[in-house]
Amino acid sequence: MRRVAAVVAVVAVAILTAACGGPSPSPAATGTPASGASRPTDRLIVGYDREPDTLNRFSTHILEDIETCVVEGLVTTNEKMEVVPLLAAAVPTLANGGVVLRQDGGMDVTWRLRPEARWHDGTPHTSADVKFTVEAINSPAYNPESTDGFDRITGVDTPDPLTAVLHYKEVYAPYQLQFVRGTLPKHVLQGRDIDTANDYNRAPLGTGPYKVAEWKSGEYIRLEAVSTYWRGAPAAISTLLFRFIPNTNTRINQLKSGEVDMVVMFPWDKHREVSAIPGVSVHRIDGNGYEHVTLNQRAFTAFADVRVRQALNHAVDRELIATSILEGLAPVTAGPVQPVSWAHNAAVRPYAFDVARAKALLDDAGWTDANGDGVREKDGQRFSFTLITQAGFAVRENVAQVLQRQFRDVGVEAAVQLHDGTSISKLWFEGKFHAMLHWWQLPADPELTLFFAKDRMPPAGRNINYVADDALTALVYAADRTVDQAERTRILGQAQARIAELAIEIPLYGVTKLDAVPARLKGFTGNPTNTGPFWNVQAWTLDRQ
Amino acid sequence: MPLLLLVSALAFGLLQLVPGGPLEVYLSNPGVRPEDLERLRRALGLDRPLWVQYVSWLGAFLTGDWGYSFSDGRPVLVRVLERLPASAELLVVSLLLAVAAAVPAGIAAAVRRGTAVDRTLSGLAAVGVSLPAFWLGLMLQLVFAIGLGWLPSAGRAADGGLTARLPFILMPAVVLAFVHAAAWMRYLRGSLVDVLGATYLRAARARGVARGGELLRHALPNALAPVATVVLLDVALLVPGAVVTESVFAWPGVGSLFTEALGRRDYTVLLALLMASAVAVILFNLIADLVHAWLDPRVAA
Repeated sequence: MRRVAAVVAVVAVAILTAACGGPSPSPAATGTPASGASRPTDRLIVGYDREPDTLNRFSTHILEDIETCVVEGLVTTNEKMEVVPLLAAAVPTLANGGVVLRQDGGMDVTWRLRPEARWHDGTPHTSADVKFTVEAINSPAYNPESTDGFDRITGVDTPDPLTAVLHYKEVYAPYQLQFVRGTLPKHVLQGRDIDTANDYNRAPLGTGPYKVAEWKSGEYIRLEAVSTYWRGAPAAISTLLFRFIPNTNTRINQLKSGEVDMVVMFPWDKHREVSAIPGVSVHRIDGNGYEHVTLNQRAFTAFADVRVRQALNHAVDRELIATSILEGLAPVTAGPVQPVSWAHNAAVRPYAFDVARAKALLDDAGWTDANGDGVREKDGQRFSFTLITQAGFAVRENVAQVLQRQFRDVGVEAAVQLHDGTSISKLWFEGKFHAMLHWWQLPADPELTLFFAKDRMPPAGRNINYVADDALTALVYAADRTVDQAERTRILGQAQARIAELAIEIPLYGVTKLDAVPARLKGFTGNPTNTGPFWNVQAWTLDRQ
Repeated sequence: MPLLLLVSALAFGLLQLVPGGPLEVYLSNPGVRPEDLERLRRALGLDRPLWVQYVSWLGAFLTGDWGYSFSDGRPVLVRVLERLPASAELLVVSLLLAVAAAVPAGIAAAVRRGTAVDRTLSGLAAVGVSLPAFWLGLMLQLVFAIGLGWLPSAGRAADGGLTARLPFILMPAVVLAFVHAAAWMRYLRGSLVDVLGATYLRAARARGVARGGELLRHALPNALAPVATVVLLDVALLVPGAVVTESVFAWPGVGSLFTEALGRRDYTVLLALLMASAVAVILFNLIADLVHAWLDPRVAA
């Protein structure tokens, strides 16, 4: 009976708290973990939203936070999205002679490596590792996630242990990021089946400030600082614990109770809740991604008319969305390239919110509401389409509803459909949708070909607007074949202007990344790309208070 | 055996009906191009006709080869086995809690039928059956982990003795136990009310057997038999049924493996888990039959 009483008590308390709308943090809650004169300065617990499938950076398809701490690239991208050398002595460019364009249309890239770089086992990191990496990825025996770029390398010369010369069969503009994921250690993996080399895949030998000490499946990965880090002093925080907590509410609850110190990229709708937690500061950085509505011209032919697309762009009040639903957290954006990128064209402005203009354009395109039901028709077809989006993102679901309402105001009907992540990937990859509210998270290199070239419609790419514009296609391909950054910026600027002129999609806002970090953490900068906020983890320190 | 074959075919077919497949997760990386997807499709054997995939999986499964996980490439058996201890731990503790709550509550409600005690307990049971586990879980976290700071909000103690482990398992076990305790209590109450009204007990009462403990000693064994069957059938479903609870409490059991595998359409892991659940259900059905026969000789005869 006593147990029954206990259960009764639990329920009573729970119902009571629910009725009160959730408890404000009591002194006990903040008192136990957060205060106290000294908290450990050598340990950081990260609440992570999922468990990686592998730590091999070439096989993974997970955000690379954990790998970044262990395996270093020849370069990395910093908080300003600049490419900075890491294992390489410098980033090769045309200007410094690291890149040579050949007469036959190919190019040679020379990587000079830092002599002091060491693998965790003390073996020097050399050009042989670079060569081995290219050959392993191009070998049919290994199945990396992507062979992009590597498949254009015809050979690697290693004149000395610190120099690797890559021969590309054609000009490949994103060459600087070819080894952002690092290299594979030749002395560990040579002659082995990398797909099943689980000693490496689950605890990779790297050159980074941390090594994998323990991976407890379903629970956590524990990283320990390497005592002989090649860049100098070992990382100040000696233990990094990544705890897998897929449930967002639980992750935030653990932050509140002090069981985890840090949560990276938490959802925007939790912003107020997380900001109120004592001892936790919310770090905000503009990401290299943008939320937008893709208009599938092939599946819903009304979108094939540029006037219709422009009208829908004018129908959306982006400022309203940004200030109300997004609470000012995200900036309104005009297109696929964000201000954080060197290729951003600031002259391209978002379409102004102008209902009258939207209506006029739709009238002009022949879409009129003859029967007075509030929805326009043309040739007997109602302007009614489905807008799909991923379930489970509270903010996105709200934005979808606002869009629905704003389209309705200009006589266009949109039905919102929610799908889970994997289902929606299949839908867009097969082009089986009318319109989709989603974001693209883009790499640091501003390649647009995959998304806008006319020959890159699925399954050949991600042009899921199904736009076929010769001028745009020529521009994006020209940019891919241009190594000189100033020239490439000019071409990509034209491409962005063309994308806006054609109103190919409805850009909404830039994707801001929110990271919850301990207020006593110093050195944290965040990162706009999938390189992730741990890119400079070796420089982090924790204050006692 | 034919039943399991049917289950396997159904499970395989159902998984194919769920939109998306193991390759869709790769699409979140813009660097993954269509040619990469084709290469991976071939590497995983997903380019073969469905029936070939099914037959080759079944052939291997029958010989004890559960295959490899699509997501991390490790053997499925390893992935399932490493999650079993956590699941078993949660199962045992929540089972004990549920029985410990359901039996006294069921007896009290039956004996004091129609009184305030009965109404309170039955009301609570109704709440218990209908409460969503994720909500109850989050509420417990708010109260006991964040509000009072008595218990850790989620996770599992990696090692250490009972005192280190108990705080972690308490809340998930209570959530899991609550739903079942509520259902079992109602079964027991109903069953006991029937038995107490039976002629042989009325006769006993007429002969002067007191209403209290003495009467229960005669009634309880008979009332428990059907309840035991229900409990055993539920136990088979406790492990897969812990999916939500495990997710809320980041409990590293089989349930969270299932959630994870479903999200990525990790077919081999999903099939293995579905088959294991089917075997468990059949097994516990069998045990339930045996136990029922042992408790109630009429069934055996």
